[in-house]
Amino acid sequence: MTAMTAPLVDIADLVIEYDTGTRQVRAIDGAALQVFEDETLAIVGESGSGKTTLGMAAGRLLPPEARVLGGRIHVADVDVSDADDDALRRLRHDKLGFVFQNPTTALDPTMRIGRQVALAMGGRPAPEAIAELLSRAELNEPQRILRAFPHELSGGMAQRVVIAMAIARSPQLLIADEPTASLDASIREKVMATLGRLRAESGASLVILSHDLRMIARHADRVAVMYGGRIVELGAVGQVMQAPAHPYTRALLAAAAGNERPGERLRPIPGTPPILESRCEACAYAPRCAFRETRCETERPEPRAFAGREVVCHRAEAVIAADQSPRQEAR
Amino acid sequence: MRLAAYLLPRILAALITLFGVSVLVFLSLRLLPGGYADILLGPFVTPEARAVIAQRYGLDQPLVVQYLRWVWAMLGGDFGVSMVTQRPVIAELLRRAPVTLQLALIALAVALAVGYPLGVISGVRAASRRKRRDFGRVVGAMGASVPDFVLGSVLIFVFSVWSLWFRVGGYVPFGVDPVGNLRTMLLPGLTLSVFGVALILRTTRDAVLRVMTEPHITAAVARGATPGAIIRRHILRNAAIPVVTVVATYFGFLLGGAVIVEVLFSVPGVGLYIFNGLLNRDYAIVQAGVLLAAVVFITINMLADVLYALIDPRVGAAR
Repeated sequence: MTAMTAPLVDIADLVIEYDTGTRQVRAIDGAALQVFEDETLAIVGESGSGKTTLGMAAGRLLPPEARVLGGRIHVADVDVSDADDDALRRLRHDKLGFVFQNPTTALDPTMRIGRQVALAMGGRPAPEAIAELLSRAELNEPQRILRAFPHELSGGMAQRVVIAMAIARSPQLLIADEPTASLDASIREKVMATLGRLRAESGASLVILSHDLRMIARHADRVAVMYGGRIVELGAVGQVMQAPAHPYTRALLAAAAGNERPGERLRPIPGTPPILESRCEACAYAPRCAFRETRCETERPEPRAFAGREVVCHRAEAVIAADQSPRQEAR
Repeated sequence: MRLAAYLLPRILAALITLFGVSVLVFLSLRLLPGGYADILLGPFVTPEARAVIAQRYGLDQPLVVQYLRWVWAMLGGDFGVSMVTQRPVIAELLRRAPVTLQLALIALAVALAVGYPLGVISGVRAASRRKRRDFGRVVGAMGASVPDFVLGSVLIFVFSVWSLWFRVGGYVPFGVDPVGNLRTMLLPGLTLSVFGVALILRTTRDAVLRVMTEPHITAAVARGATPGAIIRRHILRNAAIPVVTVVATYFGFLLGGAVIVEVLFSVPGVGLYIFNGLLNRDYAIVQAGVLLAAVVFITINMLADVLYALIDPRVGAAR
């Protein structure tokens, strides 16, 4: 990892609220995050945690109801919240590539795939170049797909087309929002593998937004766990997965199917994610937390370095300790 | 082959619709108080004279027989003879059709040229703003709710006080005197177009607004496409689908003869002819006129269906 160079994405103290007409909903409550060159970062959280808002904010793709109230977003040395429309368009055009959750709606239903890919490539690419790009995204029969309309493709094929379009201009940063959530379980892993291979080949950085911690763990270098509009735990995938220091990360792992022992029950996280209307002056996770103590409900935890990662929790020591004993027995 | 499978059910539905229209027209005319004999002979008339007229035109037969005779004759190409002028109805209708067609084309052209761009602008602006109220919606609502006869009357009043350039009445064919033709046809055309402008504006605006929220537009923005390119390449075509429907309905309505406007401005088109036929209880004119208007209307809607399938590849493929 190239943690020494200037980060490709630098987000600090970011605050974003949505104006729903009747009230303000705070989606991002002081988030800070850096993405470095040539790495894969997974941002994990439940729906409502703010991960999509964070991802879209990096390209200023938020709906008009969203308001950036504070903080900064720098992407490839461009101040995204301050840039004029033209600079922003150049940033998106030259440096960014987005992959969306539902590939069939992310493609224009009235336009053949070939033309859409050509538009994404820019200029007037030769048909062979378009087919070559589709082949790189592991689409067989690119000639046939060029002539197809989006509704004639399967979800997995359509997502490969979307991925091909996202990498068409060799972006420095790929942002994929739940890239496999709408696909059949049997092909999720393959599509993720393609995305990872293309990233590695191009040396771009990839940010994956997902709710599926275990799936993402196999494809990411670092993981950022989001809750209540903040990054609550951020570190190398191995460390975070092995010994979560935030109780929410721990609960996510326990709730997800994957490497449970036979007879072991998955434990859903009790309660529901918070809907904030202003800055949270306590720990947003406290109401659902098994480790909480009085100060969790009165004092906002700040990010601190602990056990080789960054964590936003007053009780991180206790969380790690709780997992140490049973895990060592199991090994 | 796929087109045939797509069209066949529509053709069947159209035939059923035509049957329904023919029955409705036929019955509603017969159920109007007063018959042809009353109009022709006036109120003070002997039952004998009335019977002679009824017998001559077959009006003494049961309704079913009258209906079947009418349909049978039409299938043979005979749309009947005007009882008043004794001339074939079809010839009279065809003679007036170009007038109505010209009126319809003027109204449609103005409605499209004004309504579609305004609708696109209004929709694009509304989508990028947080509060979704704007003048496009107000204009659309007003234009759609002002009746033709009110607007037409106002225009006639205005232009009869200040004659300006327009003329009311005194139709001459375009081929004979283009300028004189336009002087009489533009006002009624504009009157008819106001509703069309409003209709197309609102439909386009709503369609654009809906397309703008689709993920593929966000995806195009995310690729760094310019707003102009996004509108041209992605929005216009996707938003055109519902617009085609209303344009077809509107055009069919115009071709059916815009009765009120033609009467108001004395435009000798199909609408005025049918209107006079109705006043005279001249059954053949009204029956043939309304039925042919229905045929035109249905045909145009079927063409619109074909047009959809060309615009939206998903339509033809659905099952």
